[in-house]
Amino acid sequence: MNFAKPIPVKNQDNHPYWDAADRHELVVQKCQSCGEYAHPPGPSCAKCGSSELSWENFGNDINGTVYSFIVSYRAFLPGFQDDLPLIIAIVELEDAPQVKIIGNILDCSPKCVEIGMKVKMTWKQLSDDRAIPQWIQV
Amino acid sequence: MGNIKDRYAIVGVGESERSKNSGTTPLHLALDAARAALNDAGLTAKDIDGVMNYSENDSCTSHQLATYLGVRPKYVKDILGGGSSTEMLIADAIGLIETGQLNTVLIYRSMNGRSGVRMGGGNWDMNMLQNVIEGGSYIIPYGAGAPSQWFGLFASRHMYETGLTKEHLGHVCVSFYEHAQRNPKAFFYGKPLTMEEYLQTPELTSPFNKHDCCLESDEANAIIVTSAERAKDCKSKPVYIMGISARQCISHAHYWSNLSEVASDYVAKDIYQKAGVSPADIQVASIYDCFSWVVLRQLEAYGLAPRGEVGDFVATGNLKMGGRLPTNTAGGMLSEGYTHGMNNVLEIVRQIRHEYGDTDRQVKNCEIGICTGWAGPDIAGAMILRN
Repeated sequence: MNFAKPIPVKNQDNHPYWDAADRHELVVQKCQSCGEYAHPPGPSCAKCGSSELSWENFGNDINGTVYSFIVSYRAFLPGFQDDLPLIIAIVELEDAPQVKIIGNILDCSPKCVEIGMKVKMTWKQLSDDRAIPQWIQV
Repeated sequence: MGNIKDRYAIVGVGESERSKNSGTTPLHLALDAARAALNDAGLTAKDIDGVMNYSENDSCTSHQLATYLGVRPKYVKDILGGGSSTEMLIADAIGLIETGQLNTVLIYRSMNGRSGVRMGGGNWDMNMLQNVIEGGSYIIPYGAGAPSQWFGLFASRHMYETGLTKEHLGHVCVSFYEHAQRNPKAFFYGKPLTMEEYLQTPELTSPFNKHDCCLESDEANAIIVTSAERAKDCKSKPVYIMGISARQCISHAHYWSNLSEVASDYVAKDIYQKAGVSPADIQVASIYDCFSWVVLRQLEAYGLAPRGEVGDFVATGNLKMGGRLPTNTAGGMLSEGYTHGMNNVLEIVRQIRHEYGDTDRQVKNCEIGICTGWAGPDIAGAMILRN
């Protein structure tokens, strides 16, 4: 399979997140010093600067609520032409509302999507060994 | 910085030709803008001892510009930046003049923003994009690669919380397009926009249609900053800086989760205090307008209309000539041209000088104005200027 869309590039700071996504699990960076979650992850806590970071595993049964969304009628990046109109949403995690994750809401008409809508995480396989979290309406 | 109120001034402004296909380099455009600003101020290149510019790696360097103006300034500085950078560089220039290191500083932004590197996207290497954008791997694989999408996500939530509507966005566009009809140099001169047309235009990325997005153009703008004392020797009428401030806040530009906090909120408090005026004293405005909605959030941040009433404020025509706060009176980045904020600085300087005289382009008796830069929830800069 030749995947046409951009695939998440792993680096020093984000690879635990994407490694977990490949296993169909969600892990979120957490600061041990101030107790805040850090998403997207970084080399130290963006809230307090502490380097005492760990990863919390939320598993693979993840629910959330649409915090904001847009409907894109033009593909600004390669590979998305066939997905238009494309829904891009910021989703608030049910188990950690401070954490918001940007993703697409799949198989959903733009007419149906609204702020406050309940969604569930699903993993989309990009290749044999790479996957990304996405969202579907509950 | 100590109290610099009224001790520094913008003494020259100038621009290159504006087009969608300049057929020339950012260096040529920058030279045209710099010479126009020098001419406006009645200065020669030899009077400039500092040159600064901001870009997204899409311009010429200050060193190159100085070289081909035929001068060897003491100080050159190039920063990466977009919205809010003009104010940050003016503040830097003031600091350098205040400490006796420089006398007169030329600041410019030059870009082939349409024929060269387009902010609106296109032809980027996907892996490179993920590396250069902070947290890029969390947005690019989801097709979120364009500023209109990022700002749309902020806008949708803010509109949901405050009750702002699509029509309110439209009032910003219609008001600025109306101004462009009096400005022969505006890109959309001769192309007015009615609310009906606005509402019928299909969306590109909700809640925005093409009118909500700033245009992309090839152009350069330049401004000259010096002390109030030196300003007396200039040909132009100085426009004094009453207060200037900038601020970084919000940990991640794409994960804005507290709508009651944007960098502009902090900047607003600081500049009014420094300038010794209140929002009620502001008579003309240049509000950073990369997208229509950012104007609304900034009107709220700068106290120019109360949160929750911003929609009514723009719907009653207050951004138009004759309204309570004529804003982006040359058309702004939505309809005049786009240089990451600097064309709006040129316009407010001209308004406060009363350069348009008795014409219908001049905001009557405007003595005090505000100019804002906004790069999203994370970075803001602004200044209050007076005649």
